[in-house]
Amino acid sequence: MNWTQFLFRLAEPVVPPRFVIKRLLLLIPVLFGVASVVFAILHLAPGDPAVIIAGQRASAEQLEQIRVELGLRRPLWEQYLTFLWDAARFDFGQSYSISRGNSVRSVISDRLPITLELAIYGQAAGILLGLPLGIISAVKQDSLTDHVTRIGALTGISVPIFWSGPLLILLFSTYLDVFPTSGRIASTLFLPDTWTLFGRELPLTGMITVDTILLGNTEAFLSAAHHLFLPAVVIGVYSTALISRMMRSSMLEVIRQDYIRTARAKGQGAKITLMKHGFRNALIPVVTVIGIQFGTLLGGAVLTETVFGINGMGLTIVTAIGVSDYPVVQGTVLTFALLFTLVNLFVDVTYSYLDPRIQQ
Amino acid sequence: MAQSGDPPRLRQYVAARARLVGSGLVVGLVLGGLGTAGWTLYTGDVRSSEATVFALGALVFGFGLLGWSGSILAGRGIEAMQEHMGTRSNWTERDSRRAMARLCGGGGGIMVGTSVVAALL
Repeated sequence: MNWTQFLFRLAEPVVPPRFVIKRLLLLIPVLFGVASVVFAILHLAPGDPAVIIAGQRASAEQLEQIRVELGLRRPLWEQYLTFLWDAARFDFGQSYSISRGNSVRSVISDRLPITLELAIYGQAAGILLGLPLGIISAVKQDSLTDHVTRIGALTGISVPIFWSGPLLILLFSTYLDVFPTSGRIASTLFLPDTWTLFGRELPLTGMITVDTILLGNTEAFLSAAHHLFLPAVVIGVYSTALISRMMRSSMLEVIRQDYIRTARAKGQGAKITLMKHGFRNALIPVVTVIGIQFGTLLGGAVLTETVFGINGMGLTIVTAIGVSDYPVVQGTVLTFALLFTLVNLFVDVTYSYLDPRIQQ
Repeated sequence: MAQSGDPPRLRQYVAARARLVGSGLVVGLVLGGLGTAGWTLYTGDVRSSEATVFALGALVFGFGLLGWSGSILAGRGIEAMQEHMGTRSNWTERDSRRAMARLCGGGGGIMVGTSVVAALL
């Protein structure tokens, strides 16, 4: 292959754009559906937003004025269409109580990086540990390593976060005093709002481990990593267990295929055959699980953040439901839905790259 | 091959889908209208009746839409998985898509029916 051919090859899209566009278009009805369900649930839920804003002691006139201002006196179809239009522009108005006066968009932009950071570390732990464990378990089928891995995976899948979280806090924080019980960084450390690149001041990402690296603050980075370790482990255990189990069963199926036997018969080494021919094919069902798993991780973030007192999207949604802060609930639920669908789009694209037959 | 007397394929395509959603829409319209009228008779409050029945319609519509897009996104995969696992279920992506489209129409119908009846009452 000469340089021109090589450059043309690089310019070729890995997955046909038509496939990606079709998947992107399908995101619209998904988000539209989620928005409708959110609208319905919030209108069926008990509680009057006007009372939440003005308080129990407000007069009837004040309450009525707030209802008119919020558009609650307009016909339902008009409220519904306005809600959908606002949701399409990602404008959910202002928070009623948890961050009163601030826009929901700013609440989400402050807290989303915190949850994303936690979910990414959990997913990374799941992939980095789950894939090798699954491969080892499949290659050494019915050995002691396989049995230990399988029992570990089964335990990891079976243990719920609301139980494993407090248990790990009890063990590592209360008894062993190795990790902090809550928070994202030591209370004695303070980070600025911006960082400097070539003399220009830029905003920080909100992901504390990334921000501490950008600021070049090693002490703060170590503190952040120290604080994040337990929550990431809690959130990553389930992911590791599920991925390793899927990888094992998928790998076992693949290594029995004729093409693997042919590759070995032609003299290819066992490790190369396994990684070159076996791994990519065994990865196809695992990629799907990783995508669906991300939704579980976001759900897990709600519990993990509540257990570890991390002020991300999970804790925000729990608090917002508790105090009937409807705009925040709407915004956070739709953000979760958007994230989930985008991750699944990415998984679909990866899936079709690994197995081009999917594109048909 | 299409005969000269056959309706155009696009018209056939649209008509089949319109029938599917339309049948749900008609049922929804009746249910929404009757629901709002009945609820108003029971509670005596048009506003709260409209809010409740409309929200229920939006819920059905939302679930239908999610189910429809979910069937398109993952239906073939579920079919393949069932075939792979030999579960012999009669579930198909096509049936699910059609059922969800009908549900979607039903939810939309409830919302429209509710709004019309609430405006009249």
